[in-house]
Amino acid sequence: MRLTELARQPGEWLRGTGADSDIVISTRVRLARNIAGYPFVSRLQPPQQAELSQLLCESIVEGGVVPECDYFDLKVASQIERRLLVERHLISKEHEEAEGDRGVAIRHNEALSIMVNEEDHLRIQALHSGFELNETWELINGVDTALGERVPYAFSERLGFLTACPTNVGTGMRASVMLHLPALEFAKQIEKVFHAVAKINLIVRGLYGEGTQASGNLYQISNQITLGKTEEEILQEIQGIIPEIIENERRARQFILERNRPQLEDRVWRAFGMLQHARVISSNETISLLSHLRLGVHLGILRELDIAAINQLFVQTLPAHLQVIEGRELDSHTRDIARATYIRKCLGAARHTGEN
Amino acid sequence: MSQIVCQCGKKLATIHVTEIINGEKKEIHLCEDCAKKKKLVFPAASSVIDLSEVLSGIVQAADEADSDELQKAVCPDCGITFADFRTHGRFGCPTDYEAFRKGVDPLLERIHGTAEHRGKRMKPRAARSRDTRLVELRAQLRQAVADEAFERAARIRDQIYALKKEQGHAAD
Repeated sequence: MRLTELARQPGEWLRGTGADSDIVISTRVRLARNIAGYPFVSRLQPPQQAELSQLLCESIVEGGVVPECDYFDLKVASQIERRLLVERHLISKEHEEAEGDRGVAIRHNEALSIMVNEEDHLRIQALHSGFELNETWELINGVDTALGERVPYAFSERLGFLTACPTNVGTGMRASVMLHLPALEFAKQIEKVFHAVAKINLIVRGLYGEGTQASGNLYQISNQITLGKTEEEILQEIQGIIPEIIENERRARQFILERNRPQLEDRVWRAFGMLQHARVISSNETISLLSHLRLGVHLGILRELDIAAINQLFVQTLPAHLQVIEGRELDSHTRDIARATYIRKCLGAARHTGEN
Repeated sequence: MSQIVCQCGKKLATIHVTEIINGEKKEIHLCEDCAKKKKLVFPAASSVIDLSEVLSGIVQAADEADSDELQKAVCPDCGITFADFRTHGRFGCPTDYEAFRKGVDPLLERIHGTAEHRGKRMKPRAARSRDTRLVELRAQLRQAVADEAFERAARIRDQIYALKKEQGHAAD
C-alpha cells in the first residue's frame, strides 16, 4: 500500500459507527513502550537508532504482531506524506517533524498504528469509531503483549513501563475520547463540562483549535495520570464521565430544538448552502460549517446526507489530504479554491446517493 | 479585492502585514513561502495547549530540596546528570529512574500522586534478547564499514549470521 492511498480511504475513526456515534467520534488508546538495554530515543546514536528502527519494524511486520500492516520509513517520506499521517491521527506532530531514523507501522484499516522511535521507542495506538473503550483496550492490549514477547520492554516491578518523560511512566497509557459537542457550546454550557472533567484528573482539549477553544466543536477527553492505577481503573474513570457528557449534549440538543428550532435549522441550512456554493473556503471555516452539518444530520434536519460522508470531509479538506487528492502541491490560496471545488463535488455526489 | 503579487514577484500575496515603526506605517504583502522565510506564519496546530508541555514545566521546576549531591548524580548507563534531566524534562535511559530515585520519586508523587505501579506486568526477561543483540551487531557493522575496517566487518557479519541461524532454529 502507498501512503497516498490513505487519503482516499475512509479510515477507521471516520466510519461514523459504534456506540453513541452521534456524539462520540472516536475512541483512542495509546501505549508508550521502550526497549530494555537502550537509551531513550533522544540519546540514541544515529547508527543505533537506524538499527533499532529496523529491528522494531521487523518485529512488528514480519512477526505478525500486527496482521495486514505496512511499515513506512518517515526519514524518506515526503513532507506532504508525513502531514497526511498527522491529519489522519496516525502519527504525532513531533514524529512528523523529527529528523532521525523513525517510522510508523499502520494496519490497513488504520485501527492500529505503531510509531517507531518517536519520543519513546514504541508508541502503540488503537483507534475505534464511536464510544468503544473496552474494545479499543482489548485490541491494543493483545498487540502489546505479543510485541512484548518478541522484544524486551524496559519494565520495572516498582514503576512499570519506563518512559522518556516521567508523565507517561507506569501504564504508559493515554486513553482519549473525541466528542462532538455543538449544542453544549451553543448553549454556553461547555465550561461546566471542563470543570466536571478536571475534578477527576482528566483533561479536555479542543481539536484543531487553539487551547480549549475548539474549532468544529470537537473536544478530546483523556487521562492525565498514568502511574498508580491499573489500566482498567483509568478506563473506568473515563467510562464513568463520558455518558454524563453525552446525556448533557443530548439534552441540550433537545432543548434547542424545542426552544430555538428555527434558529438551529437556519444555522444548519446556511452551513449547507455555504458549503454547496462557496468558491473559496479556508480549512477552519470548513470545519466549523461541517460541524453544523453533522448536527443537522443527527437531528434529522438534513436527511439527504450521511454521516460517514461528512466525517470524511472533515479530514479530506485538510491541507495535505487536499494536495494528495489533487495530485499536486498547492499554496494556501489555491488550496482554498480547490477545497471549495472538492466540497461541492462531494456534497453533490453524497446528496445524489441519498436520493436514490 | 484586487490581487496583490508578493515582493518576490513570483506568487500571489496571501499574507498582509502592517508594520508601524516610529509612527511610519508600511504595508508588506507576501506569499506563503516568503512569509515562512521571514517567520511570519504562525503554525495553527502548535498553538494547542499541550499537556506534556505543562507537565514538563513541573518536571523542569527545580526543587529547592534538590541537594547539590543529587544535582550532580550521574547515570552509570547513559551518563546524564540529574541536572541535565531537570533542564530537558526527559530521561536519557530507563536506568535513570533508579539512578536518580531520590529526586524522581518525589516528582512522580507530584505528577501522579504516587510512585508505585499497579497496572499491567510483563514477565521478567533477560535485559538483552537475541533480537536486541542483533541491533547492536548491525550498528557495529555499519560503523566498521564506515571506518573501512573490513576484517572487523566480516567478523561481525559472521556473528550476525550465526545469531540469525540460531533464531531460525528457535522459530522451528
